[in-house]
Amino acid sequence: MKLSYNWLKDYVNVKASPEELARILTMSGSKVEGIAKVGDDHVLELEITANRPDCLNIIGLARELSAVLGEELKLPEQNIGKSMPDDKNSVRIECIVEAPELCPQYTARIITGVKVKKSSAKIAARIMALGMREINNVADITNYCLHELGQPMHAFDLDKIKGGKIIVREARDGEKIVTIDGVERELKKGMLVIADVERPVAIAGIMGGIDTEVSEKTKNVLLESAYFNLLSIRRTGRKLVLSTDASYRYERGVDRGMIIPASERAAAMIMGEAGGNVGGFYNVGDCRSKKMSIDFDPNKINTTLGIDIDKKEVKGILVRLGMEVSDKTDGRFTVGVPSFREDIKLRVDLMEEIARIYGYENIPARIPEISPAVIRKEKPRQVKEKITEVLVSLGMNEIMTYSLVNESVVKRFAAISVSPVTLMNPLSEDQRVMTPHLLDGMLKSISWNINRGTCDLRFFEIGKKYSVIEDARQYREIPALCVGFTGFIRNNWAEGKRAVTFFDVKGVIEALFASLRLVPKFKQSLVEGILAPSAVISVDGEDVGFIGEVTGKVLKDYGVEQPVFVSEIKLDRLYEKASLMDMYKALSKFPFSSRDMSILCDKTVTAADMYDVILVAGTELVKDIRLVDVYEGDKIPSGKKSLTYSVTYGLDNRTLNDAEVESMHARIKSALSEKLGVTFR
Amino acid sequence: MDLSDKLDELKTKFDEAVSKCSSLRELADLRVIYLGRKGELTQILRGLAGLSPEEKRNVGQKANTIKIDFEQGLNALAEKIENAETVGKAKKFDVTVPGIEPHAGTVHPITKTMNRMSEIFVSLGFRIADGPEIENEFYNFEALNIPLEHPARDGFDTFYIKGKYLLRSHTSNVQIHVMQTQKPPVQVIMPGRVYRPDAVDASHSFMFHQVEGLMVGKKVSFADLKGVLLAFCQSMFGPDIKIRLRPNYFPFTEPSAEVDISCIICKGKGCRLCSGNGWLEILGAGMVNPKVFEAVGYDPEEYTGFAFGMGVERITLLLYGIDDIRLFYENDIRFLKQFR
Repeated sequence: MKLSYNWLKDYVNVKASPEELARILTMSGSKVEGIAKVGDDHVLELEITANRPDCLNIIGLARELSAVLGEELKLPEQNIGKSMPDDKNSVRIECIVEAPELCPQYTARIITGVKVKKSSAKIAARIMALGMREINNVADITNYCLHELGQPMHAFDLDKIKGGKIIVREARDGEKIVTIDGVERELKKGMLVIADVERPVAIAGIMGGIDTEVSEKTKNVLLESAYFNLLSIRRTGRKLVLSTDASYRYERGVDRGMIIPASERAAAMIMGEAGGNVGGFYNVGDCRSKKMSIDFDPNKINTTLGIDIDKKEVKGILVRLGMEVSDKTDGRFTVGVPSFREDIKLRVDLMEEIARIYGYENIPARIPEISPAVIRKEKPRQVKEKITEVLVSLGMNEIMTYSLVNESVVKRFAAISVSPVTLMNPLSEDQRVMTPHLLDGMLKSISWNINRGTCDLRFFEIGKKYSVIEDARQYREIPALCVGFTGFIRNNWAEGKRAVTFFDVKGVIEALFASLRLVPKFKQSLVEGILAPSAVISVDGEDVGFIGEVTGKVLKDYGVEQPVFVSEIKLDRLYEKASLMDMYKALSKFPFSSRDMSILCDKTVTAADMYDVILVAGTELVKDIRLVDVYEGDKIPSGKKSLTYSVTYGLDNRTLNDAEVESMHARIKSALSEKLGVTFR
Repeated sequence: MDLSDKLDELKTKFDEAVSKCSSLRELADLRVIYLGRKGELTQILRGLAGLSPEEKRNVGQKANTIKIDFEQGLNALAEKIENAETVGKAKKFDVTVPGIEPHAGTVHPITKTMNRMSEIFVSLGFRIADGPEIENEFYNFEALNIPLEHPARDGFDTFYIKGKYLLRSHTSNVQIHVMQTQKPPVQVIMPGRVYRPDAVDASHSFMFHQVEGLMVGKKVSFADLKGVLLAFCQSMFGPDIKIRLRPNYFPFTEPSAEVDISCIICKGKGCRLCSGNGWLEILGAGMVNPKVFEAVGYDPEEYTGFAFGMGVERITLLLYGIDDIRLFYENDIRFLKQFR
């Protein structure tokens, strides 16, 4: 919406500079986006909110300013509200509304004997200041009135209307019209048109047809002023991808009380500019609604807004905004809402009017009484924060990826992508489905960095996995953690290079679970086509995720040529199972002793097998078991591996003597050889 | 030459040797020569046997003193040499060799901002609530007084799934869930991910984050809203920050306000960041519309409340002077590492 500073002054006394005016308008709700100097005028560009179509014209804004500034609103002196004669002796037409629900009121006024030419300098200047093209003295007046009063009107060349009939009807499927912008448009059923007996002559409320446009040859004019159904205009405009000054106002709602006065104002101005005489006037339907009246308690304003304003001031604001305010005996007001303020329906709407005009900047700021103590952060959030804290302290970088992905991701990760959620109106194929897991985002981020020269990465993401249970129409959003490692974990002059392994990721998962007082179990299990080697991770016998090395086939899709290790953990179960309580455990006062054992065993014997045997045989005397060396190679028989464990023995209530330690160590060794057939080196 | 003279001579010899000694190896030799079992002092003392008791005592005392001198002298020398060797080594030590870089973990800037916001609101008495991203029309629109096919929906273009399901276009849906399950007083913030069909460029994203706030009670006023927002903005952006509320329109609040903060770069004088007007738009707010209360079964005659919502990406861009929203989702390690 454009506002001419000079033009505005016709209706309200403004002493403020254009800049100051812009501030006043902005602070009362009509946001000024910019000010341009046009000749000796200033044009303000405003952003008017969807609920305020009454501010889409100059008089509407003048009314706003009259309320803020306490100045009188000066409406155009002549014509508005002065009824014009319906000259039954002039040219007659027939005016038929076939679709009254889409067009509650239609008026047509005939003006005969006009002389169409360029507009007078004043009209032309004002039109052009607002960025419109100068057309002719009839079309320009309809545009002038649209900006002045907010009522869109259209002027037809009466002699081009065929059959002497104006018919307001729904379009027929496939019917065509060339609009005044020269574009041929195909219409569909449901769109409202103005037609003569042969064809549509205008798309109602949006744009007129080129055939019936007023030109310099026009002698007689038919001036349309109407009220159209808001939704109908909106739908038609959207379907045709066509938005005009007229449709913009119609779809937000024009002033139902302005249909006839605007027609009179425009007719009088056309005659002033182009001569001619008013002829017949046709008015079909009546769109006016019953006047809204609101019972309003001005005393509530102060508690709701937290201000101190007296009744008189409240009344003054409402009256200047065009409301009719009458006092009731109980101290309340009855507020009559004018036809141009259909947005005001409730008491809070009046409250907003007071707040706006009183000025938001004049309302004090205070800290409210805080609600009684409640748990401000529930456990899932606490666990999530702890996970972030632990992973960051372990040297990992948090990433964040899009939760919309390409459908091909579902196929690529078929084994872990159950019933994905698909969008009906995606922006692009790359954002068609809600991600069913976090691996795609992780691998994209790893690939992005490798392509930019950083190959050593340790990432994690806490996000969501989405799926649908089709029959039940239930959508699931499962919080999940994804960890991804690649490249060298050590790479410096002192330690040399050491590539990331499966066990680096496993170590992180173990440390993380330990911090949540959980013990994860890893069981070898292939994640078909995605991870190998890999394992499922469980807690208390329940699967919570997986860990493994991404297969070359998958890596290829991301253009990654170095090994990548990942783990994904479902967090919903972890949130429940985790414990955030840190319990102190007394430190033993008695020293522990360690003994090493070097074992030679079949490669098929797992570490878990060995732990189990050591723990069972060792009873509570075993305080710690650490694997300190692994060897597989030429120096030992093939099919065998050599392992060195360091076992720590101790008791909490006394010191174990050497003999006790040795005897326990021997017992464990014999249990190992008996149960697992291992030998010692 | 009597024994006493010999001792004097030995002392002179010792002092000279000590002054020439510069290594621990030489020092070990000196220890053998002067204090060893076959050393010179021992040799001299062997001669004591032929002396009178009085001479024995005198020379013996002298010899003892000399022995102690020798021991102390050698110990002092040892310390001096060791010191010199440490210093010598230390002087050659290249402290400019680069340190071994530990793995420095980082929190994503969006998480960082959201956590900071959450902490501020928690300190102001707000509880944190979550809600679904996959939502139906009722929670995303209808209950929030956003009618179908109304120009008010223009700002809320939405991704649809099937039937009446959609991806929430704002976190306001959580307000409805919270109010449906909790009686007033309510004081809650709702951080989360939202979606709108905007093509990606430097300032647009089809996915972003919001933090929504809601407070409902018997006497919650517009002044309370201003107070909470001022406290938040000053904690978030600095104690000198000013806020400005302008009337705006949101279907779910009435009165509604757009909230600006004084520009964090120019402090309100006008610069490129604030397009010269001194203010930065950062959030929308207002008093909860009674129609929203009606939708959740709260009595609008009894309760009032305020709500606000802000974009986390926008605030993070402002806080760190980042100029491209896409950086948040590329996860370039050179970017992430800056948020230590």
